[in-house]
Amino acid sequence: MRFATRKRHRNGTTRSDRATRAARGPVAIVVATTVLAALASPLARAQSPAPEDLVLRVGVVSDLITDNPWGVAAGSDWIVATIQYDMMLRFAPEDLSPAPSLATGCEPNADSTEWTCTLRDGLTWSDGSPLTSGDIAFTYGFIVDNKISPYKSYFPYNPTFETPDDQTLIWKSEEPTFAPDMPPWVYIVPEKVWAQYDGQPLREIKAVTNTPSIGSGPFTLTEWNQGQGWTMERNPNYWGETPEVDRLEFRVYSNQEAMVQALRNGEIDFADGLKPQLIQSVEGLDNVTVQRVVSDWWLNLAFNFGGQSKQSDALPALHDIEVRRAIAMAIDKQAIADKVYLGTATPGDTIIRPASAYWHLDIPAEEELGFDPAAANALLDDAGYADTDGDGVREDPSTGEPLELLMPASQDTTGAVEAGELVVGFLDQVGIEVNLRPVSDAKMNDYWGAGNFDAYIWYWSGDPDPDYQLFVFTSDQCGNWSDGCWQDPTFDSLYEQQRTEFDRAARQELVFEAQRRAYEQVPSVVLAYPGWLQAWRSDRFTGWVPAPGENGYLMPGYNYDSLVALRAVDDSVAASSGGSSGIPGWIWLVAGVGIAAFIVVMARRGRRRELDEA
Amino acid sequence: MGARRYVARKSLQAVVTLLFVLTFNFFLFRVLPGDPVGLLARSQRLTEQDVASLQAELGLDRPVASQYVGYVGQIMTGNLGVSLRTGREVTSTIWSRIGPTVLLVGLGTLLATVIGIWIGIKGGWRRGSAFDTSTLYGSLALYSIPEGWLGMLLLLVLSGMLGLFPAGGFETGGETGVARLVDVLDHLFLPLLTLTLGYVGQYAIIMRSSMIDVTHEDFVTSARAKGVPEHQVRRNHVVPNAFLPTFTLIFLNFGFVLGGAIVVEAVFSWPGLGLLTYDAINQLDYPMIQGVFLLSSAAVIVFNLVADITYGYLDPRVREA
Amino acid sequence: MAATEQARLRSARSLIWQRRRAAAAAHRATFRRNRQGMLGLAILSFFVAVAIVGPLFIDPASLEPATADGPLLASPSLAYPLGTDNFGRSVLALMVQGARISLLVGFTAAMGTMFIGASIGITSGYFGGTRVDVALNAVTNWFLVLPWIALAIALTAVIGPTLVNVIIVIAITSWASTARLVRAQALSVKERPFIERSRALGANHWHMISRHVLPNVFPILFANAVLMIALAILSETTLSILGLGPANAISWGRIIDDSFSAGALSAGWWWWLIPPGVAIMLVTLSFTMVGFALDEVLSPRLRER
Repeated sequence: MRFATRKRHRNGTTRSDRATRAARGPVAIVVATTVLAALASPLARAQSPAPEDLVLRVGVVSDLITDNPWGVAAGSDWIVATIQYDMMLRFAPEDLSPAPSLATGCEPNADSTEWTCTLRDGLTWSDGSPLTSGDIAFTYGFIVDNKISPYKSYFPYNPTFETPDDQTLIWKSEEPTFAPDMPPWVYIVPEKVWAQYDGQPLREIKAVTNTPSIGSGPFTLTEWNQGQGWTMERNPNYWGETPEVDRLEFRVYSNQEAMVQALRNGEIDFADGLKPQLIQSVEGLDNVTVQRVVSDWWLNLAFNFGGQSKQSDALPALHDIEVRRAIAMAIDKQAIADKVYLGTATPGDTIIRPASAYWHLDIPAEEELGFDPAAANALLDDAGYADTDGDGVREDPSTGEPLELLMPASQDTTGAVEAGELVVGFLDQVGIEVNLRPVSDAKMNDYWGAGNFDAYIWYWSGDPDPDYQLFVFTSDQCGNWSDGCWQDPTFDSLYEQQRTEFDRAARQELVFEAQRRAYEQVPSVVLAYPGWLQAWRSDRFTGWVPAPGENGYLMPGYNYDSLVALRAVDDSVAASSGGSSGIPGWIWLVAGVGIAAFIVVMARRGRRRELDEA
Repeated sequence: MGARRYVARKSLQAVVTLLFVLTFNFFLFRVLPGDPVGLLARSQRLTEQDVASLQAELGLDRPVASQYVGYVGQIMTGNLGVSLRTGREVTSTIWSRIGPTVLLVGLGTLLATVIGIWIGIKGGWRRGSAFDTSTLYGSLALYSIPEGWLGMLLLLVLSGMLGLFPAGGFETGGETGVARLVDVLDHLFLPLLTLTLGYVGQYAIIMRSSMIDVTHEDFVTSARAKGVPEHQVRRNHVVPNAFLPTFTLIFLNFGFVLGGAIVVEAVFSWPGLGLLTYDAINQLDYPMIQGVFLLSSAAVIVFNLVADITYGYLDPRVREA
Repeated sequence: MAATEQARLRSARSLIWQRRRAAAAAHRATFRRNRQGMLGLAILSFFVAVAIVGPLFIDPASLEPATADGPLLASPSLAYPLGTDNFGRSVLALMVQGARISLLVGFTAAMGTMFIGASIGITSGYFGGTRVDVALNAVTNWFLVLPWIALAIALTAVIGPTLVNVIIVIAITSWASTARLVRAQALSVKERPFIERSRALGANHWHMISRHVLPNVFPILFANAVLMIALAILSETTLSILGLGPANAISWGRIIDDSFSAGALSAGWWWWLIPPGVAIMLVTLSFTMVGFALDEVLSPRLRER
């Protein structure tokens, strides 16, 4: 670019003069914005960190939707509730059996219709007020009276709760039960916060938000920026061992790639929930350790039997057990585990997940509906589903319609859509056409409720105790929890029997029987048991307590033991962490106005030039 | 026509468009399949009584006309409803997320404008020169690159391979004052670069053709004939007149803040309105979707109005139309 | 009718066609002189050839996730020049198949856009000032004002992300700018004297539109159509990156989405992520260059003097 000689314009300015003038506007705006933002930052922060606070920074991909333990919806809601509150009895990290928490134990009477639970001494809420058996009785009563699902399933036989004194709770049941010893996965909330909502419509209870963060757990929620993250501070009145960590900072990432990058850069110390493909980029690193959590959920290809609503219109052929068996045999579950989960999953078989080790039944290889497309094809041929028009798709002899499955697959479930793509190919080999629809979980709910699908790919994540997982497959759960309204009286009766069986070994037999029945009748095909992947900076923190067992969750998970036991690797860790919060909207409004002002100034300059010419 | 009547007429048109948008929005979401109450009822396992009360609260049990009136009244008071997903007010959620988007898209459009116009002026003036040819092809190439993919490419190279920038998000946290500003700018750099590169080609090309168009006008020829030096011809005759169509385009684009940002926000985890919209639609959160649609349409209308008025201010010929 | 009159009419019509043919030849010559346009055409031809011929050489089983048998996520080699993806499919094969789908989506969506936009634009412009125009203009304005991507996301969420639906969604969200352009042109055509003369002679609306308005609008429509194809391809890419692309077909946009979601960025699987973007850029670029060249050809002012 050649600079012209300093010729003067008619109004006396040179080109460089005018260039400087033109630059002044934007420069001024930028400087002003910078100064404003810098000044505003200390104002914008909610608190200043104490020097050398030990902070654990955690990356998650699912945002915190609600801090209301009754309205818990997404994965991160559970994390907050688990850390902030306690259960009466908690899950022991070794095997998720009941362990002391707020109560030291619960003893049944002779026929298990009455359980007496004893609380610890000196329990207080995070605001200092006493935590008594009244709070527990209130919490349980709140669930029962207001019929809050899914928690109400932990309280069968119309229980009532008595509190002879602050330290004692008596659980009275009409029938013999082991419900208090399961333990019920219910977080105890302060009566004084929630009493006002007792008796309100259920939807309003679930919609309550921003309640005072008064909990009994080791950390409580102190700051929350939707879309960005939240902070939990140490609870000075926590009843257990004082954690070394002072603060937990959770950051929300819209995709996992960014989260992994942040872990590698040291922006976060822990990444919760990684896709299998991302493991490769961290596995080789010295300062990052990957925890492969044993599977506590399973990928579910569920069939629809119809009957949920007026719009439910499932394929009639799915009522034929041969068709369902053939579909199960057409699918190569090992391929799904290898290609979709890159070896971090195991092929699925029964509906009770492997993490519940005592209850999970492994179907022996000889009895399995293993991958055998030839046998699947033969099965369909024998059952009369021939391809009458030669287009590669079999027809149903009773209706003449082709075997075409509308199959929504959840985009929010890791691997569901990819597995679906494989299933399309597998079923194509046996003459069944699949119309795969990747949709969000909200849309999945829509399909499920209306029943206007033929099969879908979603997930189930049961409790440590198998009761709940079996429960959702019973006949009367149609329209409630059941995937596709499968109705099987044999299964129902097995469920009832195991529910009332007190002898653990006998109960295990019944649970095995139920799983076997579900496996043979194929209301769902259990595609895979994917693990959960967590990665952390081993050069910063140590002392994680996995639950259940060695291959368990480091972060809740089932309990917060890790967070209490966590220690910094050395002193340098505390020095390099701190705290902050979001910038309020008005700062950006000022910046936006500044930018708009610049545009107007530019425009006026153009006008002036025109006047000059005239 | 006087300036005031022009402004009044354009403002009236804007208001009418806005009302029309309101109406269209209202009916659109009642016509779309996907029953929000049913969805909520199923996902929260509500009882019959709860469903009835929810319907009453959303006003879905009243006749449509009465619902519409209620809706318009609500909007006038700035109440955009309550999110079905989180239970929070739509207005406050939008307000808390608007900042990052304004920052990103505002700065990006600004930079793209300034740079693009400069390139367009220079290229259009010396048509066929090396500068012109190279920048023309460069602008065309940039215009043709999908923005989302460009962002991914920059991430791959500058963040993944070279480790110069963070992988996403708004800030690392834990900083204060100037250090914090630096941190945010650090995170802002890549998405800003992506957005700027995405728009700069457009502006350069428009400005260039505008320059070429105007250069062939009669008054330019006569100015030259009068002996006015070339750079003055450019500065005082060609550029101001060529600038006008580009100017309109700037404001039109400014109004499309939301659209341009969604993909970039998704790729960079930038916590702004774009991401909010995307999540809301995935979660079938109708009040939120309606609120964001309304806001972005209103923004476009307002910016169009400002463009029209300023254009009329700059070029009196337009007022006669 | 007398033979001489018939002969005169026939020759009048043939004269019109003669003129049209001459004009077309002149346009073609001008186009050929435009370097940009020719370059664009060359690139385009290459991709169209690949799209038509390429898939014939690919075994469909190798594109199915279930039956693909290549090594997983392998970097480029002689056997797999562009490497493989997470299912073991050759990225080169995916790219060739994707050419067909992406070009198809671009072309069909643009045709849809043109059809809707032109119909509404011509009707609106021709009946300019009447209630029909006011109503259609209001509808056009609403579509112009609403960010296309928000509407696209909402529509796709409702009707589902299949190949056909994506085309429909792009057409529905893009027609407004075309309509506005066509309307302006139709309005100006309406003002011309020969329109008044035709009305005086008793021609009906349909005759006017098809004989006079349409031919005069057509050049601008044609240039716009080519640019619309470029935009449609970009739109499909954006939708795919947001996870709303065709679930049942492999387009270049989907390859980008698949690779990004699978973690190509952090794991460094550049051979999976980069080729589709480059291809999209080249195809869009070529359509744009051709479109601009057509613009120059059909509006004389931009030509070199």
